[in-house]
Amino acid sequence: MLSKMPFRKRRILMASLTVIAIAAVWTASWMMESRLSNPALLSGSVVLGSVVFLILLGVRRRLPMIPLGSMSTWTQIHLYTGVFAIAAYAIHVPALVVGGYFEVTLAVLFIVVSASGMYGLYASRTLPRVMTAVEGEPRFDQIHWHRQQLSHTAMTLLQSLDDDASVTVLGNYYGQQLARFFGTGPSFSYMMIPTGRQRRRLLAGLKELHRYLEDDGKQVAGQYAALVRKRDDLDFHYAIQFRLRAWLVVHCVFSIVLLIGGSIHGLLAWRFAG
Amino acid sequence: MELSETIAVKRPSRWDEPMDPQMTPADVTWLRSREPFSSLQADAFPRSMPLEGILQNDCRLHRVEPGEIIVREGDYGNSAFLVLSGAIKVLVESLPPEQLGRSERHQASWGEALWSYLRRSPVPESRDPHQVTLANESGESQIRAVDDRQAFFLQDFDAVLSRSESVELGPGELFGEVAAMYRSPRNATVLAATEASLLEIRWQGLKVLRRDEAFAEKLDAHYRANWLAIHLREIPLFRFVPESNLSRVVAKTEMRSHGRMEWNADYKKSRKLAPAEQIASEPIVSDEGRYPTDLIVVRTGFGRMCQAYGAAQRTSAYLGKNHLFGLEEVVHNAVLDTGEPPMKLQNTLRAVGFLDTLHIPVEVFAEEILPFVRRSELPSSAAQKIVRSSASDQDERRAPKRTDTERTSMETAKRGLNAKADIQTGTGTQYDQTDMLEFLVQNRLTNGRQAMVIDLNRCVRCDDCVKACAATHDGNPRFVRTGIQHANLQFTQACMHCTDPVCMIGCPTGAISRDQESGVVSVHEPICVGCSVCANSCPYSNIRMAEVSDRSGKPFTDSTSGKPIMKATKCDMCHQSPTGPACMNACPHDALVRIDLNESAPLSAWLEQRS
Repeated sequence: MLSKMPFRKRRILMASLTVIAIAAVWTASWMMESRLSNPALLSGSVVLGSVVFLILLGVRRRLPMIPLGSMSTWTQIHLYTGVFAIAAYAIHVPALVVGGYFEVTLAVLFIVVSASGMYGLYASRTLPRVMTAVEGEPRFDQIHWHRQQLSHTAMTLLQSLDDDASVTVLGNYYGQQLARFFGTGPSFSYMMIPTGRQRRRLLAGLKELHRYLEDDGKQVAGQYAALVRKRDDLDFHYAIQFRLRAWLVVHCVFSIVLLIGGSIHGLLAWRFAG
Repeated sequence: MELSETIAVKRPSRWDEPMDPQMTPADVTWLRSREPFSSLQADAFPRSMPLEGILQNDCRLHRVEPGEIIVREGDYGNSAFLVLSGAIKVLVESLPPEQLGRSERHQASWGEALWSYLRRSPVPESRDPHQVTLANESGESQIRAVDDRQAFFLQDFDAVLSRSESVELGPGELFGEVAAMYRSPRNATVLAATEASLLEIRWQGLKVLRRDEAFAEKLDAHYRANWLAIHLREIPLFRFVPESNLSRVVAKTEMRSHGRMEWNADYKKSRKLAPAEQIASEPIVSDEGRYPTDLIVVRTGFGRMCQAYGAAQRTSAYLGKNHLFGLEEVVHNAVLDTGEPPMKLQNTLRAVGFLDTLHIPVEVFAEEILPFVRRSELPSSAAQKIVRSSASDQDERRAPKRTDTERTSMETAKRGLNAKADIQTGTGTQYDQTDMLEFLVQNRLTNGRQAMVIDLNRCVRCDDCVKACAATHDGNPRFVRTGIQHANLQFTQACMHCTDPVCMIGCPTGAISRDQESGVVSVHEPICVGCSVCANSCPYSNIRMAEVSDRSGKPFTDSTSGKPIMKATKCDMCHQSPTGPACMNACPHDALVRIDLNESAPLSAWLEQRS
């Protein structure tokens, strides 16, 4: 049903349900506190239950052949349950990071998982558009192969030159700048923040060479410029797709650690609840 | 340019690729001595396409053995068969799929789906022996070679013939011509009762043979008597037309074909043409600016409606089965006020690939059909005109019509149409964005009934769709997440389960077939002989041939030739999985959908949902 609903309507419905759920937990905690009972037990159970439910998304993802509802419905429920869990956590803890090594670790884990989840939501809604705007649709697992193909083409392009002057000028530029660009992967800084700085620098360099080249050489320089653009687009796709995968790895790994830690914390709290 | 600079080549001709290069002039002479060819008028054929040429190039001689299945119900074909000797049987009742070597559709339970996932093979494209070949109880295969081709034999066919009702056809009788001429599914299974000789005639040949008046009359009479009324009844707009009127329409309607049925062969070249060039290359069915003489109904194939715009043509809609062309103009002209000029056609209709049309003369439409069409289902301008005209005339003709309408409402209900609800008149499929329309027609995506569309603005390129597909198909994904792109939409390379499934034409064993209920086109692997006909025919390259091996990785090979066994693989919409299409269910961001592109409504609604 959720997957058929217009997105705007779905957002309003899910946000309203989340607000109602948060209000219910807050009211229940407040009532327990005013009766001098222990509301942390309730809010803690809600947080732990939410974390368990949130982790079930990964299980559902690995069992696509079982009719447990569509992944999109699960993702929607996951998103809003995540928001609800953050609110329930805020109700549960007296401070964002509390005292005690174990509790501090748990709090940090919760913050990392929540923050990575929020980032994931932001990234998955914004980065696809960024990728669509850039030429090509390379598959992540094939990008390395595409890079090798470009590197090979760049090398053979140089060998196709007959004119000595062009061989010298373009050969020098290839040896000093392009060989490294085509032969190695993108730098760490590019992976973090992909910019067009290197692309612009190389393209400007190639344009600068035009005054030393005959027509044939200029044509080859133009082909190099096209290869530089292609390679940069490929690196851009790689950086963005890597980011979209990396946040998920961080989110999943920390979620599992949080689940284990949270379960231990829950057991201890239940044992010593009196 | 100097003449010496030109390159002289042999101009391609109609019969560069004969249907059967083995046909000899002696065969042709022999055929000319037999009916119906002995009585055909040779001078009815043009000199460039003589009767002998048709027999030599558009025909193939077949020897069939008892029990051999010649055509299967539901299959698509582009040729008809003439019985030369022996007897063949047309089965009146449908055979169960397993008798045709097709496994019955089995919906796996949760447990079965999970079990097959857990025991999935580590080897790509692995099969169990029973999935590779079909053998009967005595261990004999149901697929045998007859002369130089593979044929499928019905097991225990004597018992089948005695159990089921059948019609025997003998020498001189023709069958399969309706499916061949009008690109419709075969409506019965036909098998050889005795050893028999058949002449297979491809549709191009049939079309030319129709130049002989007697032959054409025979074919047309058969179509008109048995099929035309059924096809007209399928048109939703005509649902209230009484039977008596419909039979008069049948008598006056003309059938015409446009374009090439082998559009899939041209597609790869034509899609690369600039839109203006592509439109110009499409045959014109009816031209903008002329007065309409017929209401045109699309029977099969696709048509492009376009209008002159600047120096070129702009696509305004595309038409598919049962869509009408010229309705607004025909209705307008049928209720003209005195002195008012008639309306000319506002659009040109062109055949995209091939197009079969029914032409209902305007006067027949006005007299026999229009009074029984709901005003609310007509184009608004035409409907308003009728309302105005009937108000001014105080026309009394409506009284008897109402009783007719009541009479036909029972018929309508029987046809599965809601008599009370209005229907949308099929006068073409349109999109708000003209560029989307142009793109879909240019790339023939309008053929797709289950096209995979990915919204790249939401797709995070996680490939969960591909992984889910692999998980549902023993580790082998049945599509690649790549495809042509328009704006932020990617039309992915996965089988679209097309309206016109050209892949099904020519399969020698009927291994590729369409499920009547779901419309899913799937491959029945045990009877797939790996000939690649389907893969080569698919214009979208969505069928892949795979070498198969057992679960330990040992490849299956042919016991006689030693060559590897190949199977055609493609998307089957996970029709055996309890989840339905795994790709769509696995997408966490609502980026992927399986959608019918025959009509604009599903795609427009999907785009609207996310706007």
